[in-house]
Amino acid sequence: MPPTSFDQLAVGHEFPSTSYELSESVIGKYLEAVGGQQHFLTSGIVPPLAIAAYAMTALSQSFSVPKGAIHAAQELEFLKSVPIGTTISCSGKVAQKVQRGQLYLLVLEISALNQDKEKVLSGKATVAVPV
Amino acid sequence: MDQKPKLSDIHQGDSLPSVVKQITQKDINLYAEASGDFNPIHVDESFAAQTPLGGTIAHGMLILAYISEMMTEAFGQSWLSGGKLSVRFKAPARPGDTITASGKIDSIEHKEGIPYVNCSIESCNQKGETVITGGAVVKL
Repeated sequence: MPPTSFDQLAVGHEFPSTSYELSESVIGKYLEAVGGQQHFLTSGIVPPLAIAAYAMTALSQSFSVPKGAIHAAQELEFLKSVPIGTTISCSGKVAQKVQRGQLYLLVLEISALNQDKEKVLSGKATVAVPV
Repeated sequence: MDQKPKLSDIHQGDSLPSVVKQITQKDINLYAEASGDFNPIHVDESFAAQTPLGGTIAHGMLILAYISEMMTEAFGQSWLSGGKLSVRFKAPARPGDTITASGKIDSIEHKEGIPYVNCSIESCNQKGETVITGGAVVKL
């Protein structure tokens, strides 16, 4: 399915659910990027911000993110720890889209489930997009 | 990390263990590769130079990861399955910046017999400018 254009995004728009595996190699690469926290690899638990980061990237691939868009705010709730190797299904929808001067503020609701359909994370991301 | 802190060890006003990180363009590029977020504002120096930001900036989620590292250090398993945060990205973190994630315990409250620790959290750069500010709640 081609990505939805930013102009087509409206409040209530639901993004297609996307799945991704948080394998040891994925988490290893994430930990290298954030510098340290190698204890997550030895304990076999996914860093909670990694779940959120991959969920947001998965959702952002469903629509054309205009160049120059920046992250303005973030809410996250970590509901259940996630073992490395878990396949996550994430879903999201547009909760708000408002124009403020030369910016659009886009608020996305995000939710992530583990392979047993238990919710492991929920949150809201606010993205500022130049008009 | 399997451990949860004892409520008796947590006090209002306590500082959380700070996390200090230096940001390089290499770190930002690594994060882009790891997360798949190749927004040019992070990785394309010539594009970023022409925007009002004047240069590349780190991903907000990279800087937020340092706050989560601090919260994991302070609260262990309770953060991983019972943590909640709400933050605003106030200013960009740029290559060359030194970012310090810090926080303190504002209050401890009980709801239906369960203790919740309310914290204020922030990240600042080497000039003392706030990059991220907000709050976090941990269910013990």
